[in-house]
Amino acid sequence: MAFVRCNEEEIPPGPVYDPTPLALDYPDNFPILDIPSDNPTTVEGVLLGRMLYYDPILHRDSAQACATCHLQALSFSSPGNIIPHINLGWSTAFLWNGKVQGSLEKIMTFESEEFFQTKLSRLERHPDYPGYFFKAFGSEDISYEHIGKALAQFERTLISGSSKYDLYLRPDLPVFLSDEEFLGFDIFFTEKGDCFHCHGGILFTDNLFHNNGLDATPGDGLFEITADPEDIGRYKTPTLRNIELTAPYMHDSRYQTLEEVIDFYSEGLHQSPTVDPLMKNAHQGGIHLTAQEKGYLIAFLKTLTDTVYVNKPELSSPFF
Amino acid sequence: MRKISVLTIGLLFSLLLFSTCKKDPGEGTVELIFEHEVNGQDLVLNEFLYTCEAGYEFSVIRLKYYISNFVLTRDDGTEYRLDKVHYRELGVDATRTLEMPDVPAGTYTSLSFIYGLDQETNVPGGLENTTTNINMEWPMPPGYHYMKFEGKYKIPGTGEVKAYNTHTGPTGGNQNFIQISLPLHGLEIDDNSWDITLVMDLNEWYQNPNTYDFEFFGPMIMENQNAQAALKANGADVFSVESMEVMELSIIC
Repeated sequence: MAFVRCNEEEIPPGPVYDPTPLALDYPDNFPILDIPSDNPTTVEGVLLGRMLYYDPILHRDSAQACATCHLQALSFSSPGNIIPHINLGWSTAFLWNGKVQGSLEKIMTFESEEFFQTKLSRLERHPDYPGYFFKAFGSEDISYEHIGKALAQFERTLISGSSKYDLYLRPDLPVFLSDEEFLGFDIFFTEKGDCFHCHGGILFTDNLFHNNGLDATPGDGLFEITADPEDIGRYKTPTLRNIELTAPYMHDSRYQTLEEVIDFYSEGLHQSPTVDPLMKNAHQGGIHLTAQEKGYLIAFLKTLTDTVYVNKPELSSPFF
Repeated sequence: MRKISVLTIGLLFSLLLFSTCKKDPGEGTVELIFEHEVNGQDLVLNEFLYTCEAGYEFSVIRLKYYISNFVLTRDDGTEYRLDKVHYRELGVDATRTLEMPDVPAGTYTSLSFIYGLDQETNVPGGLENTTTNINMEWPMPPGYHYMKFEGKYKIPGTGEVKAYNTHTGPTGGNQNFIQISLPLHGLEIDDNSWDITLVMDLNEWYQNPNTYDFEFFGPMIMENQNAQAALKANGADVFSVESMEVMELSIIC
């Protein structure tokens, strides 16, 4: 025993890099989540990402944090054209016009380096952050790459799969849709409303880009990035999960309510050369739902609200 | 020229390796290559360059489909089966080819496959849970689209532009997948590697035997079995074998 104790005393003091792997928990019916091999999810990485997400230190003037505009109570969005952060682990193109394409690491590095213009020296001089970076990445060197990786790890935990609709899909739970919600479901998932071709699948987005017929002369959209005229007016399909919480709507925030959005798809579509063929009723202005059918559709959309997600303690600020 | 060079290099390697490399004799590889055209013309996306039998000028914007259950049949009736689902999407090069490995030696006289998915596969969770497959989901009965073929057409006279969504899949108890069989001439497998280029003529969806009329069937056909049946009948001959070529002698030990 004495010998063992002696050996223990010889271990040099100092921090140990021994990150704990973290398995991400998401429903079985979600697509397989690709995690880059050079940024495995760890408890330490997610904690660092969560701290950085809620800390204004990332901003060049310390004026705001990610969470200043991405409010958990509003599905990590806020009024004013702030894209919700929800299930972005499954995205491979980011921002309305697809300005950043690739991994979450890439967009998060972009957000730190170019959008916030983080001053790395401020993090380096901080009494605690170098230690947290070491625990997450085995190095106290603070780089945009490591900031991006930490934020990406936290973003991958922003998984919403506990809405009423999710519970309804689970055969082991006695959760049912109301008659109105079910009628809305039927409109949504048939060609009657034909919402599902773009907003379908369990993520309620195809993560692709479409011109949905908003304007006869559409905005640039993806064209701004690709310079391909076919991409004029094509914007990223947003998820409809938590859509009740993420007003205003469309890339330019033109609609304040879900009712306005449904009215648009029902009667307000515009033809243009690049309007998506999936908007197959564009030639007649829309899908022409009755007031009652519009109500059903909105009732169904509200079953996608995930109150567990917007209250989940692990996703909230780590600072208070 | 490139193919000749590859063949030559393959021969040289085979000679070099002959003394040290003993391979199970009599297996080869077939690579299927999926290409597309319209009325025999090269496919150009987004432009109203084509006219269908019903008289509409049309453009092609998007094409995604599944093919599955591949079978090569030998002249003695024995079969090589590849129980695989292949997803093809226009513009995505990674989906352009499908490899059929370890094909036993012999003379093969036909290639057959299912356009779409069989009944066992076409159920929720029947395919791997990837974003690509989820984007192909078909709501009722729940499963997957066999094909999403989308574009626009013009009304003759007025020039009004409308969209078509030729989406195929099961409805009303009808599976609607298509069993396709193509004769092969001269596919001699013997320690070699073949490329078979299959061409889908997109206009064949709209003719032969049925003149498919966009206006008659309308924009919503997923639950319209008359439209699905017409497309199923037309789809039987959308594919043809454009070419078969020996690419190289197999040198894998």
